[in-house]
Amino acid sequence: MQFKDQIDFIRQHMKRNKLRVATTILAAMMGCAFLIVLASVGFGLHKTITDDVLNNQKVTEIQVAGKEDSEEKISEKEIQAMREIDHVIATVKRSSPEAEATAVLAERKGFVPPVLVDFEEERKAGLVLSEGEMPKSNDEVLVGYHFAQTLLTEEEQEKVDNGEEAKGFAGSVIGQTFELELTPYEEGAESGTWKFTVSGIMDEPGKDWIINNKVYIDDSYGAEFNSKLSLAESFNEILVYADDLQNVGTITKTLKDKEYYVYSVTEELSSMDMFFTALKAGLIFVGTIAVLIASIGIFNTMTMAVTERTREIGVMKAIGAQPKLIQKLFLMESAAIGIIGTVFAVVISYGLSFLANWLVPIIIRSSMGDEEMGDFTILISVIPWQLVLIASLISIGVAMVSGWRPARKATKIDVIQALRQEL
Amino acid sequence: MIEIQNLQHTFAIGKKGKERRVPVLKGVTLNVGKGEIVAILGKSGSGKSTLLNVLAGFMPPESGSVKVNKQETATLNEAEMADFRLANFGFIFQNFQLMPGLTAFENVELPLKIKGVAKGERRKKVQQLLEKVGLAAVADHYPNELSGGQQQRVSIARALVTDPPILLADEPTGSLDSETEEDILKLIQSLNRSLELTFVIITHDEEVANVAHRQYRLHDGELVKGDKRHAI
Repeated sequence: MQFKDQIDFIRQHMKRNKLRVATTILAAMMGCAFLIVLASVGFGLHKTITDDVLNNQKVTEIQVAGKEDSEEKISEKEIQAMREIDHVIATVKRSSPEAEATAVLAERKGFVPPVLVDFEEERKAGLVLSEGEMPKSNDEVLVGYHFAQTLLTEEEQEKVDNGEEAKGFAGSVIGQTFELELTPYEEGAESGTWKFTVSGIMDEPGKDWIINNKVYIDDSYGAEFNSKLSLAESFNEILVYADDLQNVGTITKTLKDKEYYVYSVTEELSSMDMFFTALKAGLIFVGTIAVLIASIGIFNTMTMAVTERTREIGVMKAIGAQPKLIQKLFLMESAAIGIIGTVFAVVISYGLSFLANWLVPIIIRSSMGDEEMGDFTILISVIPWQLVLIASLISIGVAMVSGWRPARKATKIDVIQALRQEL
Repeated sequence: MIEIQNLQHTFAIGKKGKERRVPVLKGVTLNVGKGEIVAILGKSGSGKSTLLNVLAGFMPPESGSVKVNKQETATLNEAEMADFRLANFGFIFQNFQLMPGLTAFENVELPLKIKGVAKGERRKKVQQLLEKVGLAAVADHYPNELSGGQQQRVSIARALVTDPPILLADEPTGSLDSETEEDILKLIQSLNRSLELTFVIITHDEEVANVAHRQYRLHDGELVKGDKRHAI
């Protein structure tokens, strides 16, 4: 029998039992749609959290915290070796003098943590300023986004101490020269004062709750601070920057192979990926149970179809239809139920997913308030093509498996018994 | 064309485990030549339907041999037997055995679809046959819209559509009135003459048997040669 004739044949049979076939398709559709929508929540949450991670930190940044089995700080030579790794565009060393720092601007002052940096490497790493420009001389500094609001008058400081809010320095700090007083943590130690001019203000931190009121000073001051204030060697933070997110993984691996303690966004994402892969697999498994329940309907429908058509199957076998053909026709019919149910399920799932993504954030915003949510966007459901493929394979596969036994039963029908059946 | 040698068959009767075997065919031997009409007469339970079922390959013989066109049918597996039936046999059943969901045209077309014949060729062939059996006007009617005689004509057209050399008819007029019966028998004779088709007709009706060139009677599982006439 030609394939087109086989299709015609099953189409005719399905038309004859419209209601029964339609309800079976409905059951298959509901099972498959449940599987897709359920698993899409896993995909949606994964995407939401991944996007949040990628949006709120510099994704090409790799933090180097130290070296395995070594108490010593990472040397300049080692930092230079990191700069020579393929796809590394900059390696930044930041250190903080172990002293309490107070910035004084006219009658205002505030505690501002100082950070010693190499501005040239920071520039290569893609440092973003919200205002101003990079320092051109040693006594020029960059300040954090919240530096100005940290500078308070005595009155404002009292207000803050009483739990009230204070605005801090209202004008632009660009071009302003302030005094930085460093006092070592050790009691009785002598303090020192330096003058710096603000040339630029750092970009706003990615997360609302981060306050950046730091002062970024050229690292040539490191030795001067240490000698004048008799400070110990300060803590170093090493940040390696990749040219592209794709290369972060490779660089991370290279650094790990060199026995550095490394942390990068890929590390965070890979541990997240592992969790979400398990979650998605679990959701697909639960969804598959719904598909299996729907398959009972397909099994029943096909068993009834075989029973009802016993005489017809007998006639077909008598006039020369091979058992293989009979089996194929019934398997095609159950597959058709699975395919039609899956197609409807995919369409409905996309509709439900769209609806959920539109409605749920509205509900969350209305219950939590706009301020708390900020610009956080939540995707409840995402249906990638891979999920559609997996769900379709499961749904159609299960439909065919549930049609297998009735189809086998059809091939075993005895022609003589079948022809004796009453019309 | 058909050579049946010492065919024996038994049926199991009684509860499972305590069943006893009852002989139905006791060494039947029959040869049918090309273009012959052979009638097997017999009462109910005489074994005539069993003989036809074994001949058609619906059940294997317990012993003995059935050769059709020199092919021993017992050696064929189920799939080979299906192909063999499609190529060699046409069937005419007492209750027509038409597909209720298919029109007269589609019923006749079915064996050609199973055979994988292309649509154009199929349509031409079915049209010709429906004209031959006088049913061109009701080609798009469903079986329940046709009279008994018309249904049997559809059944005959379906049996002929694959050009088989042998037609096996089991009580071909059993469900028809006497006038329609005569029409169908005339059609069988005419097809036999014009297409040189071989017919094996199983019947309990003497009138039907009279259409055959040779008649046999099955009595208690044994085949006995009967009267031979050439016309009704």
